[in-house]
Amino acid sequence: MSEKKAPFFVGYLGIPKALKGFLLKLSILIFAGFVAGAVLAGATQDDPGEAGFRFDYGRQTVTGVLETKPYPLLYVTEGNERIKAGHTMMLSGQGKTPIMANLSQLEGNEVKVSGIILKRGDLDMLQVAGGQRGIEDLSKQGTIPKSEPLGKWKLQGEICDGKCLAGAMNPGRGLAHKACANLCLLADIPPVFVSSNPIEGQEFLLVAGPDGGPFPRELYNYVGQFLELETDIERRGDLLVLKINPSKITVIK
Amino acid sequence: MSVKYIPVQWNNNKWKYNAVMLASVFAYLWLFIFVTPDLMSNEGRINGQVHNARAFGSCAFLMLSVILCIGPLARLDKRFLPLLYNRRHFGVITAFVAITHAGYILNWYFAFSPSNKYEALLFSNTSYGQLSGFPFEVFGIFALFCLVILAATSHDFWLKFLTPRIWKRIHYLIYAAYIAVVAHVSFGILQDQQNHTFTLIFIVVAGIVAILHLMAALHERKHGDPFPSISDDWVKVCETSEMQEGFAKIAQLTQKERVAVFLHEGKLSAISNACAHQNGPLGEGKIIRCLVTCPWHGFQYDVTNGSSPAPFTEKVPTYNLKLEGTSILVNRNANAPGTFVEPLPMETMGVAK
Amino acid sequence: MDQAQAIFFAFQVWCNIGAIIALVFLTIGIDRIDEDAQGAYVFRLLLIPGILLVWPLVLWRWFILETKRDVWKNRHQPPRHAHFWVAIIFAITIPAVIIIGLSVRQTWPTNFEPQKLSLLQEQSQ
Repeated sequence: MSEKKAPFFVGYLGIPKALKGFLLKLSILIFAGFVAGAVLAGATQDDPGEAGFRFDYGRQTVTGVLETKPYPLLYVTEGNERIKAGHTMMLSGQGKTPIMANLSQLEGNEVKVSGIILKRGDLDMLQVAGGQRGIEDLSKQGTIPKSEPLGKWKLQGEICDGKCLAGAMNPGRGLAHKACANLCLLADIPPVFVSSNPIEGQEFLLVAGPDGGPFPRELYNYVGQFLELETDIERRGDLLVLKINPSKITVIK
Repeated sequence: MSVKYIPVQWNNNKWKYNAVMLASVFAYLWLFIFVTPDLMSNEGRINGQVHNARAFGSCAFLMLSVILCIGPLARLDKRFLPLLYNRRHFGVITAFVAITHAGYILNWYFAFSPSNKYEALLFSNTSYGQLSGFPFEVFGIFALFCLVILAATSHDFWLKFLTPRIWKRIHYLIYAAYIAVVAHVSFGILQDQQNHTFTLIFIVVAGIVAILHLMAALHERKHGDPFPSISDDWVKVCETSEMQEGFAKIAQLTQKERVAVFLHEGKLSAISNACAHQNGPLGEGKIIRCLVTCPWHGFQYDVTNGSSPAPFTEKVPTYNLKLEGTSILVNRNANAPGTFVEPLPMETMGVAK
Repeated sequence: MDQAQAIFFAFQVWCNIGAIIALVFLTIGIDRIDEDAQGAYVFRLLLIPGILLVWPLVLWRWFILETKRDVWKNRHQPPRHAHFWVAIIFAITIPAVIIIGLSVRQTWPTNFEPQKLSLLQEQSQ
């Protein structure tokens, strides 16, 4: 019956002498546990990699031909120091909003586009400034470069939203980020496939729907997962575009 | 307490308790948020909002785990009972830390969009048909609702208003909440993290919580209060030789009802084992200055009538006792709370047949 | 999106009803059913969030207490017997959830080289 002799703690009275040492040790243990937990969990987070908005470049203005299918692309004709002529630039609106409501009216036109660059390695995107400052229609029909088919490929990798991946968010991919990626895709932000290894020298490919239109909502289930795809790839300017084939998607183990 | 309600009752031990708890929480958040970014040798920098969300989220997980360990630890070793005493404050702070985590997530991943961020949280990912890529956010939302409900109903008013029985049932939500948190983490960050340190910490901590509950449940089954067989109204509790001055013997009368028989100044008295406050086990307490004192929060009762001393007005039911030889028998029909029962002298055991 | 809107709207309606009930309960009801609340006002603010969330329970208990239907025995019969199985299920579910979570975890295909399946380009040359 040693239990009966055990110290008895009553909250509003003093702490029994026999318990003081125990409780002190326990308090130190709990405190130490929290300290160790913070340092271990905090300092071992994955590296999101070097990427982000290049505000340091300042706002960039270039001219090119606009294509809106599957996603807004600019074939740069008059570039600048940062964005060279001949580059195919993916475009996005501010935050998670589309660039403008009736962008498709400008399809094939020469436009002057102004915005901030996002960059991760070879991947870049231009966040177009809001309103009139962002896109100026030069009211001149331009020439969209002919796309060059590269054949059918088997690839492994992940579908992300191109904007977060390019550095709008760090980390900007993976399953914990999936809901955010979907919300971006709904705002007409170009989805990007990250390939396990480069294809024709490129690691990032723009993803189009099976009909060459936008990536369909039914396939959002695959966003953020590691996939194996069999897909047609084409080159548009210097950008690779894959046309997703819903019957040829497998989730890899 | 049956004096006027006040927002929060304080005493010396609660201050000390909260000091240790808050120091631990602040140390965690401060180290995670301000110190660890410089400890990482990463190429890229994690966004502040994500970093903070992780700090608060992991802190809430750790706090919830500690809170959940207190119950089983106190059942396995009574020395842990002081941790139980002010557990509610710990829980309320945990709810606030969890809300902060949710706030960072909502105002980052679900902001910058023309959609309402709360709606965006619900419609952005609807892959409910798959495990990998499952909208793990819903586990977090569920857990957060549980934590907020528990925190919001933690004032003593709710205990008295809802009755401890319903209050306890609501507080069973903590188990569902913890499982939801485990799922939230398992189907969220654990899917992505390449460095396994956090995964390991998470598994160890959640594992401790699971094992302690298992141990406490088995301990309770083995060493729990006896369940005497009941044939008529009189139920045998124990032998007189087992009684100890100032302490009680407990017996289960039904699955829900337990009686505590105390020996005080050589006389026997029986009251309900369930404290009027939070249904703490009075029979595991002891008599201090002539009053039965609950081991959980120190509520006190006169053992002869189950009433708290003035100005308090809590009352627990009493029971009638008799002796048969050396056996102590209790009448299983409880008297209304506060009913006086003449204490039964133990010396009569020699006289009784 | 419509469902999300509906859920969020329903939640707002729920909390608004709760707010009305909180107002009535905390100004009129509480004094009638709990003598300890009489003359105590500051603590009532702390009850508001709880009432917003669990107002049906508040209405039900208010009705029980107001109509003197409260059974004193119930106040001393905690649901302890459920605890054994709750604890067992709890202790089993935790590792089960973690194991399922880790079992669907994917590994990045670092070594996979993209393969060209058709020779479309060569054919066209």
